[in-house]
Amino acid sequence: MTENLEKQTKRLANGLQVSVVPMSGFNQVYGLAMANFGSVDTKTEKGTLPSGIAHFIEHKLFAKPGYDVSEKFAEYGANSNAYTSYTKTAYLFQTLENPYDNLRILLDLVQNPNFTAENVASERGIIDQEIQMYLDMPEWVLEQRILGQLYPNDPIAEDIAGSSKSLQEINHENLLETYRQNYRPDNMDLVLVGDVDFEKVVSIVENSNFHTVEKPLKKVFNQFAPIGAGGSEEMDISQARSAYGIRIDTDMTGYDLVKKQFELNMIMETLIGESSTNYQEMSKLNLIDDSFSYNVVAENNYCFIIISGSTNNPKQFQEYLRNHLSYKSLKNVLTDAKFERIKRDAIGSYLFAQNSPEAIANQMAELYFYDVDYLQLIHMIDSIKQDDVLNIAQKFLKGDNCTYYNLLPNRK
Amino acid sequence: MRKTLAKNIFLNINPIKKFRTIKIQMDFLRPLAKEETTSRRLLANVMSNSTEDYPSFQAINDREMELYGSEINVFTRNLLNFNDLAFSVEFADPKFLIDGQTQIKDNLDLLGEIIFKPNLEKGQFNQTAYETEKRNLMSNLVSIQDNQDLVSSLGLAKLIYQNNPDRQMPIFGNIDQLNELTNEKLMETYRDVIKNDTVVINVVGNLDEDEFLQQLLASDFYTQLNDRHNALKIEFDKFDKLIEKPAVQIEHKHLNQSRIALAYATEGVSKDFNRMAPQIMNLILGGDDQSQLFQQVREKNSLAYSVSSTYQPLSHLVTIQAGLDADSVDKALNLIQQQIEFIRDGKFTDSQIQHAQKVMLTRRKIATDSIQYYIMRSIWQTVYPKTLLTDQQFEAELQSLDRKHIASVADHMHAIAQYQLIGD
Repeated sequence: MTENLEKQTKRLANGLQVSVVPMSGFNQVYGLAMANFGSVDTKTEKGTLPSGIAHFIEHKLFAKPGYDVSEKFAEYGANSNAYTSYTKTAYLFQTLENPYDNLRILLDLVQNPNFTAENVASERGIIDQEIQMYLDMPEWVLEQRILGQLYPNDPIAEDIAGSSKSLQEINHENLLETYRQNYRPDNMDLVLVGDVDFEKVVSIVENSNFHTVEKPLKKVFNQFAPIGAGGSEEMDISQARSAYGIRIDTDMTGYDLVKKQFELNMIMETLIGESSTNYQEMSKLNLIDDSFSYNVVAENNYCFIIISGSTNNPKQFQEYLRNHLSYKSLKNVLTDAKFERIKRDAIGSYLFAQNSPEAIANQMAELYFYDVDYLQLIHMIDSIKQDDVLNIAQKFLKGDNCTYYNLLPNRK
Repeated sequence: MRKTLAKNIFLNINPIKKFRTIKIQMDFLRPLAKEETTSRRLLANVMSNSTEDYPSFQAINDREMELYGSEINVFTRNLLNFNDLAFSVEFADPKFLIDGQTQIKDNLDLLGEIIFKPNLEKGQFNQTAYETEKRNLMSNLVSIQDNQDLVSSLGLAKLIYQNNPDRQMPIFGNIDQLNELTNEKLMETYRDVIKNDTVVINVVGNLDEDEFLQQLLASDFYTQLNDRHNALKIEFDKFDKLIEKPAVQIEHKHLNQSRIALAYATEGVSKDFNRMAPQIMNLILGGDDQSQLFQQVREKNSLAYSVSSTYQPLSHLVTIQAGLDADSVDKALNLIQQQIEFIRDGKFTDSQIQHAQKVMLTRRKIATDSIQYYIMRSIWQTVYPKTLLTDQQFEAELQSLDRKHIASVADHMHAIAQYQLIGD
């Protein structure tokens, strides 16, 4: 019989957090190492790094002298992958067998860089193709453009992979220095989900070679410029896309910030979710189709909402949202029954994710950096009160922290 | 528990306890017919928009949220030579909810509402629901042109199935057919689906089989579906003409990256050869990051970020896709051909075979960690059982692989179609 999930954790002497979550009845073991370092972390006390450097490290850490780490994982029956987000980089494996050998390979992956002039040069071509691929995706381009309005000249508005130009500024030396500064055990965590012995996992990790940095460079949080006035551009697309962005400047961190993210999600679900009157109305006015969606992001010192979709009328799309996203509108529609439904929906989503070792590992690893225990999320959600949601909305739905961006079909 | 509720109406209940959700899925199947493809897709969208008791999109969404975020999904897809119109509801297992209340009956009722109690007025679908969903579908069809990977795979499919118009039509339909559809015609499609399609009902999750069966028998599902329905006949495509004269199409578009998509028929491999040989050949060719294509085209020559191959066991087709610079296309095509020859000439190592065997086994077992695996397996069990292998048969086939068989698959790969989307 399936029981509620439980975890075992230990913070090692070197500062690394290790967690294990058994999943009864599941065949796989999913392992993940995460660094609290992503594409926006390009400013240091010493100066500015080329954009895309976090993503480049992610690609090139797989290269070791005479072998590629993915070969080693394959040899031990695991498939492996990695990804870079705005604020995190993660390395993962999924296996049926040899979980401890694969854990050792994961540790080798994140502990032993082998950046050379030659292998860095050959990786540029591959990453450049990745950048070109994304440049053909209007949704991706639109996200970068709206972030450019929300956070003008900020690294968050750059492609996570950088640009063809910034790739030329990345070399094996700045890769190594950036790696050393950020892949410290006290800036990372490790999660294994599946049938593994916690003590054995801890022992393997304790006997591995994490490097330490005596005086790590301090993270320089980016100072934000005023929000842009909005903009439009033409692209070779068949249908216009529109994005409306809201920036919420906050000094919240940790648990409070994660809770705030849930509250912001509840506000947006009430105002423009599929069960909202506004969604019906925009649909009736032919302003949106079923690509319409919103995304709430609260990471490090960034907190913003992007509402986007295909539209026949970008101007009206923007106007409608500007006129209807208000505290007053929220107060009118957030009844007790509505609030209860929205809360239930959030609890359900949490349980859906628990069918997936991958989702558990990724969320648990990330939430650690916000001092939140993933397994306690259900109680965090349950503790949110209607008044909390209204209070937050009153503070940020003011209309002076919004902007927009439109991608219009090229008329040629 | 497997049960036949009426002729060509099948029920399978799989009481697996490891998941935190329960899923009920109902698949309505019939042979693909190009005239019906758009209509069935629009029907799926209109039926998930609203129902008699939840007469707006808002009302139905409110109900899903009330049930702790139940997920209703209605869609169409290709399955063999069939059009599968599938309805499903997935919901949190009450055991893990804060109030622990039962949810099975409520969710079964909601799914029943969607299928059997559409939102009608004067014998037709509610006009708002119909128009909204027609507009949505039109918008989706127009947007396809902005998804270059999809454009490229549709371009290839159009070439592969040029002699089978029913397969050539994309499963989501096309703009011309959508323009011609009326509310009245859609209603005819609905009646036809409910009356004639083969139906496969699957339930997976932590529940009591007998209790669920009683609930089902007392519900609309049984009262509306106790009549005989049409049987299914499996048919396969032949690619003889394309083997003789492969189809090639090159299109140009203003893009940053070009795409190539290639298809090969694997005709003439001895029937006595190992059944896993084509899959193993595909894995060595382009099935993962250890494959020849990934290593040679991406890692060694830095030509592409994405390059891979796929084998479709039922049509016996191998397809290859890559995204790359326009001026690298010829070089990449040469390299791809070299990798096929590499396998054909038996140059792959034993460790490449062992790796591929391991990947096959791992993927199969990891798949059992998802609810969808059990539903798909049950559908195959119902419509095409002879392709299913037990775990023992699967492992025995993998163990008895001969490298000659793998090389033979590559030797019998016949290029049948090539689609290039050139960015300039």
